[in-house]
Amino acid sequence: MKVLLVDDEEKFVSRLAERLELRGFESDWATTSDEAFSKAASVKYDVAVLDVKMPHMSGIDIKKKLQQMAPDMKFIFVTGHGSPEDYCAGSREGFCYIIKPFKIETLVEKINQAMNV
Amino acid sequence: MENEIGRACALGLSFFGKTNRLISHELKNVLAIISETLGLIDELIELSETGMGLEQGKLRSLSESVIEEVERANAIIRNMNTFAHSVDEFVGEVDVGQSVQLVTDLCQLESAAKRMKLRLVDSEPCVLYTSRFFLENLIHHALFYSLNGVGPDNEIRVSLNSDDHGVRIVFTGIACNVIGEFPTRKGHLLARILGAEVSLNPAAGELTIALPKRMDETSTQNLTFKE
Repeated sequence: MKVLLVDDEEKFVSRLAERLELRGFESDWATTSDEAFSKAASVKYDVAVLDVKMPHMSGIDIKKKLQQMAPDMKFIFVTGHGSPEDYCAGSREGFCYIIKPFKIETLVEKINQAMNV
Repeated sequence: MENEIGRACALGLSFFGKTNRLISHELKNVLAIISETLGLIDELIELSETGMGLEQGKLRSLSESVIEEVERANAIIRNMNTFAHSVDEFVGEVDVGQSVQLVTDLCQLESAAKRMKLRLVDSEPCVLYTSRFFLENLIHHALFYSLNGVGPDNEIRVSLNSDDHGVRIVFTGIACNVIGEFPTRKGHLLARILGAEVSLNPAAGELTIALPKRMDETSTQNLTFKE
């Protein structure tokens, strides 16, 4: 299973990718929206894990563009906010939403759930 | 004027809340990095116990980055504490440079500001008798206006000039043809209460806040309690 991780915190996203690799996922990461689109243009990812708040483009807007590029891609959002307003915004669009910091097992469970939908 | 003070206080509450949300979001990012890094270290050690080699250099690098993140969190919390103390005293002596530095550091927590440069140029200490919290709120408005229209250098520089009349805070590096008028209504309100004059020089890409040496306390006297 191929996973694309997008978050502007390089230390976070690179280590998360490495830990997912240890669990058998093929993981790539990007710290900007442009980098994410560039990778998605050449690799067919099954799941994208996106930070909600990114410097130039929100995670939801990144999702919209990635979805145009790969309609079958599934999406999971991560955020450091976790306010009821943010949760509602994410849930309205029917996304899976995890609040940082989280256990890696939670993310793995959500990835597997997304693929089974 | 009492209505204006009320509105300014409401603005202040909003500023206080927004800043605390930013701080909490940033601290969560730090915790997430520490969590993933320690989780990875743990897993690499487990793998080494099964016979897979452990790169000592990598382990050292990972553990050093945990220390870096702890230091980062410490700096954020120090600023949070300084910001909280902004409301200890409604009006008093304020080191303007310290206020500018604090608001600059807090602004950099905003995701939109992270890829831009904000720099307080070295200057002599400038002290005013004013409302520290309202001043920080006005500086925040000015910084956000500047960041929304940063010029081609991608850097906003802030400098301070003082004389017998007061202090001027000058923001440079703005592409004013992009962003329109400043101050906003909120900025106008804060400036009036502080007795400040705000001016924009589009040709020079400069925004200036001129503050008097001593704020007129007449309108704010009712806001302090005498025990």
